[in-house]
Formats: sequence, C-alpha cells, structure tokens
Amino acid sequence: MQGFKYLIIAFVFILVTVSCTKEVDFNQANNIQLTPVFESSLVYIDEPANRFLVNGSEITVLQDSVNIDFFNDQFVVDYLEKAEFLFQTTNTINRGFQVQVEMLDDFDRLQHTFTFSSSASPDNSDVVTEHVEVFEGNSLTALKNTTKMVFTLTILPGETIDENTIGRIELKSKGAFYLNVQP
Amino acid sequence: MRKIPFFFILISCFAISQNKQLLYGFSEIPQSLLLNPGGKVTNDWYFGIPLLSHIHVNGGTSGTTVYDLFANDGINFNTKLKNAVYSMKPSDFLTFNEQIEVFSGGFKIGNAFEKNQYVSFGLYQEMDVIAYFPKDYAILAYEGNQSNINRVFDAGDFKASAEVISVFHVGYNKKVNDDFTFGVRGKIYSSIMNISSTKNNGYFVTVNGTNNFYDHIFNLDLEVQTSGIASLTADNTDSKTVVKDLKKRLFLGGDLGLGFDIGFTYQLNKQWMVDGSLQDIGFISHSKDVENYSVKGNYVFEGVNPIFPESGAGQTAENYWNDIKDNFNDLFIADTTYNKYTTWRPIKLNASINYAFGEKRSKVCDCLFDKSGYQNAVGLQLFAINRPLQPQLALTAYYYRRLFKGLQAKATYTIDSYTFHNIGFGISANLGPINFYLMADNFLEYQNIYNAQSVSLQLGFNYIFTKHED
Repeated sequence: MQGFKYLIIAFVFILVTVSCTKEVDFNQANNIQLTPVFESSLVYIDEPANRFLVNGSEITVLQDSVNIDFFNDQFVVDYLEKAEFLFQTTNTINRGFQVQVEMLDDFDRLQHTFTFSSSASPDNSDVVTEHVEVFEGNSLTALKNTTKMVFTLTILPGETIDENTIGRIELKSKGAFYLNVQP
Repeated sequence: MRKIPFFFILISCFAISQNKQLLYGFSEIPQSLLLNPGGKVTNDWYFGIPLLSHIHVNGGTSGTTVYDLFANDGINFNTKLKNAVYSMKPSDFLTFNEQIEVFSGGFKIGNAFEKNQYVSFGLYQEMDVIAYFPKDYAILAYEGNQSNINRVFDAGDFKASAEVISVFHVGYNKKVNDDFTFGVRGKIYSSIMNISSTKNNGYFVTVNGTNNFYDHIFNLDLEVQTSGIASLTADNTDSKTVVKDLKKRLFLGGDLGLGFDIGFTYQLNKQWMVDGSLQDIGFISHSKDVENYSVKGNYVFEGVNPIFPESGAGQTAENYWNDIKDNFNDLFIADTTYNKYTTWRPIKLNASINYAFGEKRSKVCDCLFDKSGYQNAVGLQLFAINRPLQPQLALTAYYYRRLFKGLQAKATYTIDSYTFHNIGFGISANLGPINFYLMADNFLEYQNIYNAQSVSLQLGFNYIFTKHED
C-alpha cells in the first residue's frame, strides 16, 4: 500500500517537473522589425494680400526661421528611412510667389535647400500647386543634420499690391516619416 | 448589459489567476483555511515546514502564448508578431502570481471536551502582476498614424500593476454546531514594492484640419504610481543595503495595510454542503518611498506658421516655435510627484456546492475515515477576482476521492479566460505526521509548456497532529 502511494506521488511529480517542450527560439526577437509611417502637419500660412503691406507699401520678401531639434533626435537618426514633405499652396492673389526652404545645421551650414512656387491668379480663383520634397540617401542625411529651417517667401513681380488688392495666400504642408525600427 | 445571461458574461470576461481551485475545500490540507477561514478543520494542530509549507506559482496569458510567438517553425517572426498584435484584444492580459509561506501554524482551542475553535496564523510573501495588452499603443507603433487618420487611439489601453507584499495573518475558526462553521482572518499587509498604473485615460487622434492638413489632438491623463522602488534604484544604493531594506519590509517594515477574509461552511444535510469566502478585503497605504509620474493635458497641434506668428507684433517666429515646444514639453514630459496613494487588494470570492457519496467503512484497516464516512465528493466551485479592467471568473467542477487512509486526491475541470479544457489534479498524502501536497492544473498543456496559456502549481509540507487518527 505504501509503495503504491509513493508510486502515485512519483507519477505526479514526474508529470509536473518533466513536462515536455517543443522547440522554441527566443533569438527570433532580434528579428523584430517595425515599419510604421507617421504623418504630421508641418508649416502653414493663410494670409490676405494686405499682409504684404507695411505702411502702405508692398514688401516682396519675408523671411523667418525656426529651430527644430526633432530631425536630429537620436531615434529619428537611427530609424528614419525616408521622409516626404508635401507642400500645397492655394493662391487667389494676382501675383505669383515663391517659397524657398533652407535647411541648416548647428553651425548654420546649408545642408539642403528647395523651392516651390505658385503662379498668379488673375481672376482670383484658386490656383492650387503641390510640391513633394523627398528625403532619401544624401538628402535624408541632410535632413538628419538639420536643426534650423529658414523660410523665405518672395512675391514675384506683377501688379502692385495695395489696400484694395483681393485674394490670399494659403500654404498647407505635411510630412510623412517612414520608420524602420529594428535592433 | 444587465440582460446578458450569466454564462455569456462568464465566457466573455472569463479570466483568472490566483485561482486555487484544487486547494479550495481540501480540508485535509491546513492551507485550505487561507482560502476559506470558515472551512472545515480536520487537525488538532499543525505547523508548516518553514518556507516549504506553501509554494504557489501561477502564470497565464489570455492571448498569445510563448509558443505562438517563438516556435521554431520557420515562419517569419514579424508575421507571428503581426498576428499576435492583431488577434489580441485590449482586455487580453498577462498575469503572474507567486506565494511562499514563510511560516504558519494552527491549533484547536476551547474547553477540554469540545475543542470547537481553531486559531491559525502565518506569514507569507506574495507577488502579483497583471498587465493588459496595450492594443492601441501597439497598433500605433506598428502602423503609425498615416493609415489611421480619424482613428481614435485609446490611451487607457495601458493598464498594469505589479506588487510584492508580505502578509501577516491570524485566523479564527469556530464550529458552531455540526452543520455550521464560520471563520475570519485578519491581515496586516506590508508592501515591499508596488507599481500601479490602472486609471489611465485619454486619446490621441489625427483628423483633417482647417489651417493645415491635419489637427493632431492629444488628450492625455496617464499616471504611474510607485512605492518602494525609488530608493532601490537611487544612485547611492548598494546591494547590501537593498537586501537589508527588503528584509525589513518583508517583516512588516514596508508600507502597511489592513485587510480581512471571511468565510463559512454549511452542511445542508448529510450529503450536501455549501461554503463560501471572501478574501483580501483590504488596502495598502503607500506613503514611504513614493514616486509617481503623470502625463496630463490637452493639446492640439496643427503645425507652425513660420512667417506670420499668430500672436501679433513683436513676437518672432522663434518665440512662437518655442511656445509650441513648451506646449509639447508640458504635455509629454512627465511630472514627478511624491503624494501618497492607496491601493486596494484584489478581492477574491470563492463559493462551492458539494455532494458527498459512497459511504464506506474501511475493511483494510480499522480506522475511521471521517465522521461522514463518505469516500467521494463532487461539486461546483465559483471563483471571482476583482481586477483593474473587469472581474475575472472561473467555474470548476471537481471530483474528490479518498484513496487510502492518509491519501486524498482531487481532480478538477475548470472553465476560465485561458482555456475551456483546464484539467487539474492534486493529492495530499500523510506519511506519519508529515503532510505533503502537490497540485497542478492545465495538465493537457504540459505536452508543450510553451503553448500553455496558464500554468498553476502548488505544493507544500506540513507537520500535522490529529488526535483521532493513528
């Protein structure tokens, strides 16, 4: 009787401790790869024609800069594989305009530049233009060095703007960031 | 919701850890009194072999198993990961629960003729972890927001808590008459470590904007509370002081809390019996070594206007940009606070209905089996535990049998959130005064332990003295 008791105990114990496993490979975790695509609004402008007047006279060039410490963030540097910026302009002023974007590093050295422009809208209807700037290879490296962006908006020659000029300039933009995250 | 049949609720939120369906009602094992302080007592006194009297380990996942992800089956890991991410629900969870009894004992009290009361006591250490699958975070990390414009990502999907505590307890059990027994157990909890993040709210969504292509809307109310962690991870701590500190906390030197268990057993007639208990109605007040982190706020980002700063003259675009940066930092850089907080212990409910049968007087030896004389019992047990997202339930059917004098066995079939085919088996054996018990469930899964959705194991050694036997 005692022997049978031990037998049962032994049986249960063996079943619990010597349970089987099938082959697993935890190193597979090193193969993890995530490829999300994030989109974010970037810059925007929406201004009537009379914003280009200072003390009643037309100003043709507007320039300002922003400091950005996003593109040189270590995570972005490590995992950003490609970026695409889309700029969409809607012009209803009877003057064309041009936007130049200069991308500078910490030492104000130019890394990359691009321009896009919109033609005039003689009848004040929407003139929509789109520009896509793709960052891959060298330009991607340039983007990752960028800590400052300078925007220069130039009103192209044409009919003089005064208080009565109608229409507005609209700019919308977004960036698509293609990440490739792997160990 | 209220009209959904009970069984449907059982299936939909069925999910368990800490269920000791094999030990519950197993009155030959002294530790069954920890599950129901009003359970039947079958010994005169006992003490647990220190550190070996009750060892309990339970782990489980209601979603993807280790094998699903890591099987060496030639399938691309990322394909398996993708399947896991998309097949799991935010209510899927991972749990781990472990208990080790440091010491325990119990003895009968009362007048010499009828010792109908029983006092039991002990100290055990417990670790309890539950983490829900943060589905929306996983989807966002997996896909990004480009393909999810207008999709609301629920920030509340992040829910997790982990605690390490020690519990000192004293229980009182009284057999009022042949039919009715009740008991209570008072508990003092000492928190060794705690991390809790269970009340997260908010969302993130990208919608089409007016000024720009998109408005990115952040509405976040997230908090992680910790106690007993900061001092251990501080720069000037060494392993010696950490060990000393932990020892002190194990023996009631941590953040303290109070709680109690109650329970009863009622014999309906000679063969039918019902019992029930509530465990861990209590709280722990965390005041020492507290560090909490919170991320809270609303922000809508639509991009920046580089040339015409909105807020008028005098402000450069850089000022304007800095404002935006500050807004982001205010929102996303966690605030650290040191406010004390209270955590509630997960309340557990056990209830069962039992039918004993197969009366047999022993012919092998001339000893008494039990006053009832029944060799078998079958019954249904219900277990419920209060968890951060929703209560989890398990229903067990069992068969109990006295095999020989001093050897009892119990087999269980349990339906819970992990599986519909959880079969468990447990035995309790007395070799002289030494009692040994071993119980494990999910036997069918032991063919491939990595594919098990949950595994639970309890074992222990006691020294038991019973006047009426031997």
